[in-house]
Amino acid sequence: MGFLAPAFLLGLLALSVPVLLHLVQRERRHTRVFPSLMFLRRVPHHSVRRRRIHHWLLLALRCGGLALLAVAFAQPVLRGNERARPLVDGATARVVLVDRSYSMSYGDRWTRAQEAARRVLDETGAGDVAGLVFFGEGAEAAGPLTDDRAVLGAALDEAELGWEGTRFAPALKLGMRLLDESGRQNRELILVSDFQSRALDGLDEVLLPAGTDLRWVDLSETEARNRSITEVTLQRVYEGGREGVAIAARVARQGEEPGEPVPVTLELGGRVVGSRLLDLGDESAGTVRFDPVPVPSLAQHALVRLEPDALPRDDVFRFVLAPGRELGVLIVGRDGGRRTESLFLRRALAIGDRPRFDVRLRERLALRRQDLAGAGAVILNDTPWPTGEAGETLRTFVEGGGGVLAALGARGVPAGRDGFPPELPATAEGRVVDRTADWGGNLAFLDYDHPVFEIFRRPRSGDFSSARFQRYRTLSAPSATVLARFDDGNPALVEIPLGGGRVLLWTSSLDTLWNDLPLQPVFLPFVHRLVAHAAGHVESPAWRRVGDVLELPELDEGHWIGLNPLAEGGLVEGDGRFVRLEAAGFYELRPSRDEDEEAVLTIAVNVDPGEADLTTADPEEVAAGLTRVGGAASDGAALGGAERQQGQNGWWFLLLAALAVLAAETALSNRLSQAVR
Amino acid sequence: MPATAGARFLDPKVLARIENLELLARTVVEGFINGLHRSPYLGRSVDFAEHRAYMPGDDIRRIDWRLFARTDRYYVKEFEADSNSNFLVLLDASRSMQFSSHGISKLDYGRYLAACLTHFAHKQRDRVGLVTFDEDVVDFVPPSAKHREAVLHALDRLEGGGRGELRGPLLKAAEASRRRGICVVISDLYEEPDAALRAVRHLARRGSDVIVFHLLDPAEVRFPDDASANYEDLETGERMPVVPDYMREQYRALVAEHVAALERRFGENRVDYLLIETDTPLDQALFHYLVRRQRFDRVR
Repeated sequence: MGFLAPAFLLGLLALSVPVLLHLVQRERRHTRVFPSLMFLRRVPHHSVRRRRIHHWLLLALRCGGLALLAVAFAQPVLRGNERARPLVDGATARVVLVDRSYSMSYGDRWTRAQEAARRVLDETGAGDVAGLVFFGEGAEAAGPLTDDRAVLGAALDEAELGWEGTRFAPALKLGMRLLDESGRQNRELILVSDFQSRALDGLDEVLLPAGTDLRWVDLSETEARNRSITEVTLQRVYEGGREGVAIAARVARQGEEPGEPVPVTLELGGRVVGSRLLDLGDESAGTVRFDPVPVPSLAQHALVRLEPDALPRDDVFRFVLAPGRELGVLIVGRDGGRRTESLFLRRALAIGDRPRFDVRLRERLALRRQDLAGAGAVILNDTPWPTGEAGETLRTFVEGGGGVLAALGARGVPAGRDGFPPELPATAEGRVVDRTADWGGNLAFLDYDHPVFEIFRRPRSGDFSSARFQRYRTLSAPSATVLARFDDGNPALVEIPLGGGRVLLWTSSLDTLWNDLPLQPVFLPFVHRLVAHAAGHVESPAWRRVGDVLELPELDEGHWIGLNPLAEGGLVEGDGRFVRLEAAGFYELRPSRDEDEEAVLTIAVNVDPGEADLTTADPEEVAAGLTRVGGAASDGAALGGAERQQGQNGWWFLLLAALAVLAAETALSNRLSQAVR
Repeated sequence: MPATAGARFLDPKVLARIENLELLARTVVEGFINGLHRSPYLGRSVDFAEHRAYMPGDDIRRIDWRLFARTDRYYVKEFEADSNSNFLVLLDASRSMQFSSHGISKLDYGRYLAACLTHFAHKQRDRVGLVTFDEDVVDFVPPSAKHREAVLHALDRLEGGGRGELRGPLLKAAEASRRRGICVVISDLYEEPDAALRAVRHLARRGSDVIVFHLLDPAEVRFPDDASANYEDLETGERMPVVPDYMREQYRALVAEHVAALERRFGENRVDYLLIETDTPLDQALFHYLVRRQRFDRVR
């Protein structure tokens, strides 16, 4: 009889445990948390009592159960079972894992990596098979394992450097899968990399079967020097009524001695518009700020550039400079109302640049269809939903994707339901709750998961509790989503979807007539979030990272087409609504039916700045970080799936027997412990 | 008749079902006040402060008619508020406060107690504030007449945290609160009595009256377990084997000795001390506070 996993027989050593337990019976049975051991530590205690063996049967059951478990896991195979032997004795399978992350473009690392991989492949003997895996953040096999060197050599020659970061774990897992499928007994993984320390992420999840050798070729230099742009910040500024952008770039360096100032240039549309010298002094990072530049009327390529060094891919930071999208907001006030009635709203919306609000005022009766053109959201400030044609127009506006924020207030209830969307609750039936007698109520519940309140989630990021609400309306809207409630349970803010848009109902006022919220610091961000959410406004980032997959806006007709090779290659086949951002650069796309320049969608993509950190890890550390599993995987893995199943059938019976014995042990020990009590 | 006669006693476990802290505080405090049969606010002096020109809307009963007779103008008498002292709760939020043997943890009990005392003090027009701490100050709401909601909000969002220490956080709190007033420390006081006293004295040195509520779970006092187990310190994670049968009596004696030492050392230094087990109604702590508050007023 042999064992497929003889290492598990070491588990028989565990037989000594029940014997010791029976001799040295500790009274501890479980862990119990206690506030402090301050006093318990001062009590002299006797938790260990030496005893003679009293329960021989219990001891025998425990030892028997453990022995059966150990033997079962060792997977015994009867002699004569030829199928349990490895299929290919003595043959070697070898997988070379080649790092092609963008840090490998440092100096001549990539050339050295290709040469090192070629040398390893040349060592492969007759009858052995080998394969190539190229990896960055993910891993990709060049094909199945083969003994044809020419195929592997060609794959190595054709391989190109990637733009991703580095992670060893996916490459090692893929390499082991290829080795497992090869059916060879001797297995080797050869890791060719610059061994950046960040690549170790997730390595503890990799299980390396015993019998699989891991070797490596370390391509890192002793003293790598690199400069990179890690971040660019864009700040909208308004000077003399003109919109501009102040651009600042963060530059980091590694391994360099303090020296000459670093030249940094800013380019817009391929033209240098600014240049600065950044003196880092003794610091490892610094920020360079350029003069504000006017915002172009159309989206324009922009980049900040350093002088190329040994790793040029992180010396350019791309972004798109686009005119700030103004969010049109139409405040509809009551007929004949004074302009000051919307003072707090107008003042709050006049501040802010993400997005910038273009606020217009209209009286309810003066509302026309053309007023809604260019508006993202309509605020019904203390005025009911318009009647007649205006009401229908507003309803169509919402169903088409617009948003309405209705502050009910003293006069914000409709006299009838003429034009009032039937999906909205009948606010006219709501009574006014007067809380002046108890100094006003306050907001007791806020849905911090909702986009409106998300920014207030963290402690000290906005206190709504200090606002007092003297009056508000009750609202019965079972189908609406309640986003905020008062302390008596009445809804303060509800959201009702209507067609492609939404209606938000605020049951108090947005001025100081019914509450003092406009006097609180949270009012401004709250109103901004409220209006932006009502309008369905989503900020589009100025740049993205390599590795992202971008979902493009849905088109009524036609499909998206790439205008440059990057975008063409990135478009995912199918409905063409997804772009894989696999390389850094500018991606340009436009709808197939739209040929004007304004419809062009530009996406700037940058490399992961983390990869620019060339700090290395010791390859020994990588090897030590892997979890090695017992011989079962190494020996048993050489068998085919069905054969392996048949060769190991016996251990199931042993496992069942072990469970039966342990169940009997549990029953007996319970009975004995009850008898003792 | 005992001082608590007539007052309602609400089981802390019942109170734990009320999720809204303000509602809980109101329930306890209003019920407590109703049970007293007389308002705790009566009999307090109202000191004349100044005259102010009459404004439409002012209560005409407050017009000083003598002054009107002399000057032919309407003036209104203004009084100082009944009370305007600082009331600062210092709540221990260390990990040991999360212990619970009967459904309500010391931290929850502390939160309820802090909420009730804050509500109570706010009704007396004190400026209320809050310090939560573990080994450092976690949250600080400075005392203000308008900070009742802020305190309740901070208590509502409070989560237990790291290791406990009194000295550092209490020193910071003492430095931050410059006006004298009443400081209420709510903690399980797992420190040597002298160390605890040194920490609390930082508050007293500022001229504040200090009341220490020593919160303990019944299981910490009585040590009722009989099953031997590995006991794990909630704060340090340290473990030790414990056989309760052998250790119970000595443990109880040590705890009693600790409590007696705390009571003696605090008493010697004019710091009020009350041991509260978390299965006792909150009203007991409120009575203690009320008695102390009235004494404080008299002294002032």
